[in-house]
Amino acid sequence: MKKNKHYFGKFFMILSLIFFYLPIVFVVLFSFNSSKSLTAFKGFSLKWYEKIFTSSNMMEALTTTVLVAIVATFVSTIVGTLAAVGLSKSKKIVRDLVLYINDFPIMNPEIVTAIGLMLFFVTLGIERGLGTMMLAHIAFCIPYVILSIMPKIRSLDPNLADAAMDLGASPWQALTKVIVPEIAPGIFSGALIAFTMSFDDFVISYFVTGRGVKNLSIMIYTMSKRVNPTINAVSSLIVAVITAGLIIVNIMPIVKEKSEAKRRKKAEEAGLDPDNIEPDNDGMKKLMAAAIIAVVGVIAIIFHGNGKGEFEGQVLHIYMPGEYLGETTISDFENATGAKVVVDEFDSNEQMYIKVANGDKYDLLIPSDYMVERLMQEERLQPLDQSKLKCWDDILTDCTNLAYDPGNVYSVPYMWGTVGICYDKTKVPIEDLEKDGFGIFNDPKYKNQLYLYDSERDEFMVALKYLGYSMNTDDPEELKEAYEWLLEVAENMGAEIVTDEIIDNMAQGRLPLGLMYSGDATYVLAENEDMGYFMPESGTNIWVDAMVIPENAENTELAYEFINYISSYDAAYGISEYVGYTSPNEEVFDEMSSEGGLFYGLDSYVPRSGNPKDEVFHYNEETRKIISEYWSKVKIAASNAK
Amino acid sequence: MENSNALIQFRNIVMTFQDNLVLKNIDLDIQEKEFVTLLGPSGCGKTTLLRILGGFLEPTEGKVIFDGVDIAKLPPHKRELNTVFQKYALFPNMTVYDNIAFGLKIKKISKDVIEQKVMRMMKLIGLEGYEKRSITMLSGGQQQRVAIARALVNEPKVLLLDEPLGALDLKLRKEMQYELKRIQQEVGITFIFVTHDQEEALTMSDKIVVMQGGVIQQIGTPEAIYNEPANRFVADFIGDSNIIPGRMVDDYKVRFDNKEFECVDHGFEKNEPVDVVIRPEDLDIVSKEDGMMTGTVDSVLFKGSQYEVIVETVPGTSVTVQMKVIEDNANEVSSADGKEKISANDFFVDIEDVDALDDKEITARADAQAWNPESDDYISITSVKYDIKPEAGTYPVTFSTSAGTMIQKLIHVVNQPFVKNERTNEAIMAFNFLKTKGELLEAQALDTDLKTWANAQAWKLSNEEESVDIYVDYDFELEDIETGRSYPVKFMTEGRELKVHTVNSVDEGAEVGLRLDKNDIHVMRISGR
Amino acid sequence: MKRFSQLAMPYIVWCVVLLLLPMLLIAFYSVTDDGNGIVSFSLTLRHFTKFFTDPDFLLILWRSLKIAFKTTVICVVLAYPVAYFISSNDDKTRNMLILIITLPTWINMLVRTYAWVGLLSNDGLISRIFSALGIGGGELLYTEGAVLLGMVYNLIPFMILQINTSLCKMDKSLLEAASDLGANGFQTFWRVTFPLSLPGVISGISLVFLPAVSSFFIPKLLGGGKYFLIGNVIENQFITVGEWNFGSAISIIMAAVMMLSMYLVRKIEKVNAQGDRD
Repeated sequence: MKKNKHYFGKFFMILSLIFFYLPIVFVVLFSFNSSKSLTAFKGFSLKWYEKIFTSSNMMEALTTTVLVAIVATFVSTIVGTLAAVGLSKSKKIVRDLVLYINDFPIMNPEIVTAIGLMLFFVTLGIERGLGTMMLAHIAFCIPYVILSIMPKIRSLDPNLADAAMDLGASPWQALTKVIVPEIAPGIFSGALIAFTMSFDDFVISYFVTGRGVKNLSIMIYTMSKRVNPTINAVSSLIVAVITAGLIIVNIMPIVKEKSEAKRRKKAEEAGLDPDNIEPDNDGMKKLMAAAIIAVVGVIAIIFHGNGKGEFEGQVLHIYMPGEYLGETTISDFENATGAKVVVDEFDSNEQMYIKVANGDKYDLLIPSDYMVERLMQEERLQPLDQSKLKCWDDILTDCTNLAYDPGNVYSVPYMWGTVGICYDKTKVPIEDLEKDGFGIFNDPKYKNQLYLYDSERDEFMVALKYLGYSMNTDDPEELKEAYEWLLEVAENMGAEIVTDEIIDNMAQGRLPLGLMYSGDATYVLAENEDMGYFMPESGTNIWVDAMVIPENAENTELAYEFINYISSYDAAYGISEYVGYTSPNEEVFDEMSSEGGLFYGLDSYVPRSGNPKDEVFHYNEETRKIISEYWSKVKIAASNAK
Repeated sequence: MENSNALIQFRNIVMTFQDNLVLKNIDLDIQEKEFVTLLGPSGCGKTTLLRILGGFLEPTEGKVIFDGVDIAKLPPHKRELNTVFQKYALFPNMTVYDNIAFGLKIKKISKDVIEQKVMRMMKLIGLEGYEKRSITMLSGGQQQRVAIARALVNEPKVLLLDEPLGALDLKLRKEMQYELKRIQQEVGITFIFVTHDQEEALTMSDKIVVMQGGVIQQIGTPEAIYNEPANRFVADFIGDSNIIPGRMVDDYKVRFDNKEFECVDHGFEKNEPVDVVIRPEDLDIVSKEDGMMTGTVDSVLFKGSQYEVIVETVPGTSVTVQMKVIEDNANEVSSADGKEKISANDFFVDIEDVDALDDKEITARADAQAWNPESDDYISITSVKYDIKPEAGTYPVTFSTSAGTMIQKLIHVVNQPFVKNERTNEAIMAFNFLKTKGELLEAQALDTDLKTWANAQAWKLSNEEESVDIYVDYDFELEDIETGRSYPVKFMTEGRELKVHTVNSVDEGAEVGLRLDKNDIHVMRISGR
Repeated sequence: MKRFSQLAMPYIVWCVVLLLLPMLLIAFYSVTDDGNGIVSFSLTLRHFTKFFTDPDFLLILWRSLKIAFKTTVICVVLAYPVAYFISSNDDKTRNMLILIITLPTWINMLVRTYAWVGLLSNDGLISRIFSALGIGGGELLYTEGAVLLGMVYNLIPFMILQINTSLCKMDKSLLEAASDLGANGFQTFWRVTFPLSLPGVISGISLVFLPAVSSFFIPKLLGGGKYFLIGNVIENQFITVGEWNFGSAISIIMAAVMMLSMYLVRKIEKVNAQGDRD
């Protein structure tokens, strides 16, 4: 009976071990994959690891994570220890109350703690960034330290400190020489927990950070929208470090014991009393010193400047959509100017607006046309000093002087294009598209086979265009109709509502229909020749994303430098080539779209002109609110429909 | 003792735990309706044996025969015995009733029968009305009884009890001892009881099995074990006893402490060395003239029901040395700038001990110290210079600090004679020594310090390695000590001291005689040490 | 010892400011109107009514609770045997097993969740194994199953540890007593071991259920936006929609749900421990 249970137990144990380690093994394995694929291992390569070290973004996220974790652990351990000791000697009421408050971060769902802290910082006008991240981490780490130490303190003889002081120790000495060593295991495990919690943290960091400061979790989260094996490489590194750390922590006591035993033996052989020899502290000290030097060295290497340059030592903070830069766009700029660029990414214009409106400071933003309009109206942008711009000669006139910013007083085009339907030519006959236009999203034939883009104004544009209205309408009836149409789609069509995930998914042909930006479609079409791009006759949206300088920008000189750089041939080519979007740079545009060019023949690359029903978005505060609320409900309905 | 009709038979039980031999070939029979106690100190193997019987351990070798069947491989839940555990092991989430009913529920006995049996048990243990109580709300004694009830309700043939009374206070314990005995007699089953308390064993058992080091030392009734211990261990373990080394001159005649006594033991070889056991209550205190032995009363302790008197019948071996009190400053040197002071004493050492001397030892014997007279902080002595040979003579030794403050003293190597006492098999030795008045006044435990300063040692003549305790005697008062004078200090061994239990008190220091009956002398073979 | 208690002073100030105040702020926002102005505000309950009168939101809350409940049940069922096995070993082996089980939890949660994205995608390892075994195809990723898998994966170690601790703390002599009284292996487990391990199960539940309800990135990564749970709603309100007051109200509701569950859990614990009811 007993034996049977053990076999069953062992079997179960092994199964669970496989379960736990499968993803980790997978991650490590595929970090060496030479192709981008997450499913097929094509060959061995270290390129993703190279990418980590060459991407300053990644290295920064890494150092931020480590730095915050170390500082948070250090501070929270010390404060936590002192607090725990202090509380144990405090009045019961005080202790109970503090411990109750202490429980908040532990008991509350992380998101609630995160929001509380975010509100706290914003309300007090504290700018979010590295500092707030550290404060937040310290705040949620201390409770764990205290929780770890309290049981140890409770088990202590309450007269310990008194005994020490009776023998002549000062209170401080009693604390450090008597109490602390006794509770050391609790302190140690508390520090360990604090480190893990900080290192691992996503939710809280996500809400309290700003100014492009990211930790690893945030970085992975933003990266995960696109297939990105670099994540695997980073993860593998983390796995390696953690495993090494744990092994060291667990082996050290054993090694210590063995060396102790050795020395005792030697002492005995020499005829000395083995209990009376001095412990070998020197070895330990040397080890610690070596470790600290190593860590400092690594940080120094990572942080080393980018060499000489005009803007040596300066930092440019950019807030822009994700997956919108060329492979070397940033590093080239950094090398050329000697400056450092910190890029913060947003999922949607609305997301960006909230951060900016709440005081986050950036030097350069890249919003869409209507958002530029809104920011202009709210006086959040500075007019551009035309004397500093050298780009206008290179830029297509088609995308300048548009209604959202007449005369381009505030903005310089970054990329432009259309919105349309990306479809699988082998699965969706062109006739259906020509017949339904955007209505195809409501066609029961394609139930469970389509993607909607998680952007309220783009989806409303689809609905309004389908219903034959202007996408800039402010008529509440028309908006309501559009909402109801979208609701129908949400409830009946089983669509997946995504953002950038759509790109790789459609490139792999996962689903045959999706609403896409032309640039993303270009990428997909280039990757998968079965895919096509369609713009309905009933009209679609022509958009421009533009670079603007916020009113409260700090480093405007560098911002101008960047704008000029982006508009130049090399940079523009690099971006367009990598993300597939249409460049406003005339030379690049001509080259890409003509014979022999990268995107020749792909009509997603060339924005349609001549259809009077094509519109550019206008910003309207009233309709924005309505649409925003409607869209939330659509998403909820979609989720509930499953 | 061997009876093939015995209910339980242990045959050749061997138990090894991680390279430790815990039970060595145990053979034991236990009868029906017997109250058997396994008695012994911690680690003797008694609990192990019990657990083997209970089925919680499988013996490395050997058979456990229960009612004619070898049950060594049978799991506990299939054995017809029940256990009362040391810490009761009551199920914390169940009531008293549920705990007691547990075994019955497992056997799927019907509810009304269960109720009958449980209620009967509750009456037996005297806890009627407590059925619904949570066991965490009971006192130690009450929990004890529930544990017993829980086991007994299953009507086992044998009840195993693993030191069940250990956690109770003295009064409760004594009450429970009677209770258990009563229950056993009332229920009429075999009880196997494990304890280390010999008084408990003597009170309750029909049969006692004394164990030590995994071996059964003696099996017998309480009286037999008490009056006729089989060896020194049993004699020492059970009750108070005086154990004296002696020689069996002839049958019925034993000699110890230089006297011959009539006794009732026989069968030994002529002049065989033996251990003689005399119980304190068997010795009577009489006048010096009427005594078979004489001695001085060393101490008298009132124990309530009797006096415990220690009588010294053979004085110990002693040696007297001289303690010379010397000038305070003769032993002190100051540095030129007055910031350091160093002090040390001359001392004596035996020729044989010279080779064992090293820096540390010399510093200790000379009591060499260096300190800062203003702050009283200790300064370390960095150098000890000496040139010494294992020959009688005087050798200088110099102690100095790193700053150069130094003092020179003398080591006297002597061939110190020691005092022998063949009768008591002891020898003792001590040296003269010199001390300043200041050092004497500072001494915190004077007796111990005197022993150290004089380097007093005592050992057994038969075995030099075996040391003997030393007592100190001196006549001076510390406050009256004068510099320049010598005072005698006497070191002595114990000699022979007998413990006597008597109802009448005696005065300390009185010279008395001791009498005993020949039946009260019990002779044992000397067991391997 | 008054001097020692002063050591706690800095922390007391700190935790009131950084732990208590934020919570109060959330509460404040939840009952006021638009904007961040502290100076001018008007109290309102409309955010709460908005939530409770909209069937969509309530449905999301319900779904979040459902998924969390399923996650918890799966965790208990799967964790128990593992914990039981671990506790049945000696100290050294036990520590090693615990180390092995918890090692993955040290690795960043996002990393581990992201790994499942790759494993579960069409063409991924799991799909291939399934088709090799003949189990039907179909989507693995972006399903409720994927979300459950992600949650269980991230949270089950806590359950294992809690149950294991409770099993280890159990007095081994109780097992011997049960066996002594005639209970075989299974009976001993069911009547003694399991009831006594319940405190561990319950604390494990509290460590799994609460995070599961409020999780937002697991449904996002593995559910593909189709699984919009209460955590996602809150995130959405704060990050994209900008309705901080509404978002705060939902947070308060969620915190209230948590406190209610904790209270129920504590109550069950107390009842289990059986007071003196004579």
